[in-house]
Amino acid sequence: MIDKKLLDILVCPVSKAPLIYDKSKNELICKASALAYPIRDGIPVMLESEARQISLEEKEQLR
Amino acid sequence: MSDNTTHFGYQEVPVTEKVKKVGAVFDSVASKYDIMNDVMSMGVHRLWKWFALEVCAINEGERVLDIASGTGDLAAKHAERTGNEGLVIASDINNSMLSVGRDRLTDRGIIGNVQYVQADAEQLPFPDNYFDCITIAFGLRNVTNKDTALASMQRVLKPGGRLLVLEFSKPHSFLKGIYDTYSFKLLPLFGKVIAKDEDSYRYLAESIRMHPDQETLKTMALDAGFDQCDYMNMSGGIVAIHRAYKF
Repeated sequence: MIDKKLLDILVCPVSKAPLIYDKSKNELICKASALAYPIRDGIPVMLESEARQISLEEKEQLR
Repeated sequence: MSDNTTHFGYQEVPVTEKVKKVGAVFDSVASKYDIMNDVMSMGVHRLWKWFALEVCAINEGERVLDIASGTGDLAAKHAERTGNEGLVIASDINNSMLSVGRDRLTDRGIIGNVQYVQADAEQLPFPDNYFDCITIAFGLRNVTNKDTALASMQRVLKPGGRLLVLEFSKPHSFLKGIYDTYSFKLLPLFGKVIAKDEDSYRYLAESIRMHPDQETLKTMALDAGFDQCDYMNMSGGIVAIHRAYKF
């Protein structure tokens, strides 16, 4: 779960591009940097070191 | 100090290690952070923060970012002042500290206009020119690359916005003797007795000494792109408030 207001504000700390919320994985995804940021206990973890590199297939599915 | 190392208190550590080491210190002190602050500063940290908040002069409806928000002392006051039309984002790189802060604010009924984000001050996850005011209280000295962090803050600040840095600084020379004894003898002792964590509190004392003095920090802010910067000393310069503006 993430607050809609917060989602509108947050950008990827690496690319500064807007993020897509993936409800099933509870992650915030940046297509530009191909990174997925976890949301833990309701708090988005916007750290590059904690982000997951997303696969090409996952990236395709976002389109 | 070579290019790839930085200070962790008085130790020299690889840049990549500092984040982990500081993280471990704050994981360790999070639950007792508030009481330790009271003991360490003999309650004076409340005055320093109160004064910093007055200097911020948050108006209703403003967007405020509190970096290294920790247990949320400043964020709570920001939320009151900016009201329902405003927004406060409490951010910290450390999950333990941020969780303690969120629980504390929620317990006090401060909800609705406060959001929590785990973020690195060097890579802030916010758009350009977004915040009216940014605060960082007793946080900057724990950041690995302070220049990068200041530039990141400058980026997300609106033109006309202000940054407030509350941090330990260089006290006047007449305080040196008593200040040294206090921070290197008494502080680790308090840490040992109250938080059962002498090493973390020794790190705090050392990190305070390694932090740039008043004029150096002012120059760093200007170099990071701020257009104007001034500072005020409190308690004889033990603590200083730097106020930087973006035009």
